[in-house]
Amino acid sequence: MGRRLAVPLLLAPSLIILLGVFLLPMLLMLVLSLQNDQQQFSFENYLLFIQDPFYTGILWRTIRVSLWTVLFSLLLGFPVAIYMANASGKVRGIVTMLILAPHLISVVIRNFGWVVVLGEKGWINELLLSIGFIHEPLRLLYNELGVVIGLTDSFIAYMVLAIATSLYSVDQSLSKAAAILGASRIRSFFDVTLPLSLPGIYAGVTLVFSLSMSAFVTPSLMGGTSVKVLPVIAYEQVMSTLNWPLGAALSFLLLGSTILLVALFTRLAETKRYKEVFAS
Amino acid sequence: MAAKIDVELRNIKKVFQNNVVVQNFNLQVEQGEFISFLGPSGCGKTTTLNMIAGFLEPDEGDLFIKGQRMNGVPPHKRELGMVFQTYSLFPHMTVAENVAYGLKLRKVSKTEMQERSKRVLELVKLPHVADRYPKQLSGGQRQRIAIARALVIEPSLLLLDEPLSNLDAKLREELRDELKRLHQEIGVTTIFVTHDQEEALSLSDRIVVLNHGHVEQIGTPADIYHRPASEFVHTFIGKTNKLEGRVVARQDRLLTVETQSGLRLKAVHPERAVAEGDAVTVFIRPEKIRLTAADAPADANRAKGKVELTSFLGAFTECDVRIGTEVLSVKVQMLDPGLSLSIGSDICCQWSPEDVLIMPGERG
Repeated sequence: MGRRLAVPLLLAPSLIILLGVFLLPMLLMLVLSLQNDQQQFSFENYLLFIQDPFYTGILWRTIRVSLWTVLFSLLLGFPVAIYMANASGKVRGIVTMLILAPHLISVVIRNFGWVVVLGEKGWINELLLSIGFIHEPLRLLYNELGVVIGLTDSFIAYMVLAIATSLYSVDQSLSKAAAILGASRIRSFFDVTLPLSLPGIYAGVTLVFSLSMSAFVTPSLMGGTSVKVLPVIAYEQVMSTLNWPLGAALSFLLLGSTILLVALFTRLAETKRYKEVFAS
Repeated sequence: MAAKIDVELRNIKKVFQNNVVVQNFNLQVEQGEFISFLGPSGCGKTTTLNMIAGFLEPDEGDLFIKGQRMNGVPPHKRELGMVFQTYSLFPHMTVAENVAYGLKLRKVSKTEMQERSKRVLELVKLPHVADRYPKQLSGGQRQRIAIARALVIEPSLLLLDEPLSNLDAKLREELRDELKRLHQEIGVTTIFVTHDQEEALSLSDRIVVLNHGHVEQIGTPADIYHRPASEFVHTFIGKTNKLEGRVVARQDRLLTVETQSGLRLKAVHPERAVAEGDAVTVFIRPEKIRLTAADAPADANRAKGKVELTSFLGAFTECDVRIGTEVLSVKVQMLDPGLSLSIGSDICCQWSPEDVLIMPGERG
């Protein structure tokens, strides 16, 4: 009897919190998004989004910026993950700490740091100008590139740690086996290491993509007013325009498209072979 | 005509952080030979194998494979086959893909690839698992596939890094016989690393016994077993009884030794000269001692004692016999009728002087 009661009792606090502060508000938001300004049931807000190229353009930009962030995190993060996988436990710990250390500082502060570095008078531009590599400052801020740089900085840690974790479980002797069979190091990377790190890559891609899609602070600070993404527009609708129904609809469209894209990615990425090899 | 030398190690030395792991390693392996590196962990056997494979570079000395100097040649250019303790099959490839991987890298045509993979899977008696993934196979099957994968490229040399240690006892014996059969069938020059003396004795043409990074002895299994070059070799290969004593008499080929406990025994004079009065160490293998109740022939060694401990092990019984302050371990396969091994019973140990091994003992 004790056990039968214990499980629901132990689950109760988290269930109450989840229901009360997450699911219930979500439902209210959903109802809200399906109302017009006369508070009648209507698909008006969703139709407005689909028909207005301004909004669809924002959605595409959000997706585009997120995909670039995923790509940069993957390309820059993979070598770090490989380094960690080959390092001793002590070095792994130090690298993990170094990767996570910037997250101890508020994202606002870090983004302002980037503004200082990437601005027209930032040291990157000053340096390139002084050596004569460029003649006009590069625009590294307040455009999509700036947002991608900021987002990559924010989320690359997730990519590195996800890939590193999956590489840890790859038997080191496999690359030895590939080498003795005649594979060069590059060949062995593409034939053995890369395919076996796929679960980590998939996890990292999904994480970084979802986080980038819903990122708010970095796009506002590093994209400025000219590079608005969906979360920023939704925020404005709710806080500035006070059009709660439209803001709610935009949030659900963001949620829906993120889920849809992640599901599509999973569907395409997890081939029959992948499932057979990595299913536990 | 002298046999062709497939592998040659000349004065190989390897140091890790001021620790000499291997030194003065000289060896010539003939074509088709099965050589074992035998020794306890940390003796340098795996390090040496890794140097032959190219995963490590020797700090000093030269390595030749098929007459070619291999120092500095990366592993993927050495044309070797290797089987690892952990099987090391690629988990994301099917058995067929694993086996064909080396051929794919060598750009062998598709039809030839299929044919050779099929042949080698038949060789290891697993043609029916080609489409499975490694995790769907048992440990023994995985190691057979690993062997097939190493053999399919027709390597100039097959390296086996403790391939049987991860298997349970029965499978280990099965796969050991399998290795023997494969070696007889295809005759590939093989270097086998093991810490298991039984595996080394049963498989090898010659054994290299290693201890603390240096070669203790190189010889046939019979040499190693019957004519050990050092106390280490004798004690590492099989169980033995060790007694300290002093030579008290010498008569032609026959020595008389008195042990510290006063036991007198006769031994055939060893190859290394010992003189009267020398301190010696005496070794007798447990299986060379016979238990009797009757009087033994006059020139044989015999000693009266009491049974102290017996362990029945199926094929034989192990029995500790106390003689004064010494305890002799005896391996009994057939007990003379009328004898009892119950604890405390009086018994007589006897052995032939030929079976006593004498080594110069500690001085003083």
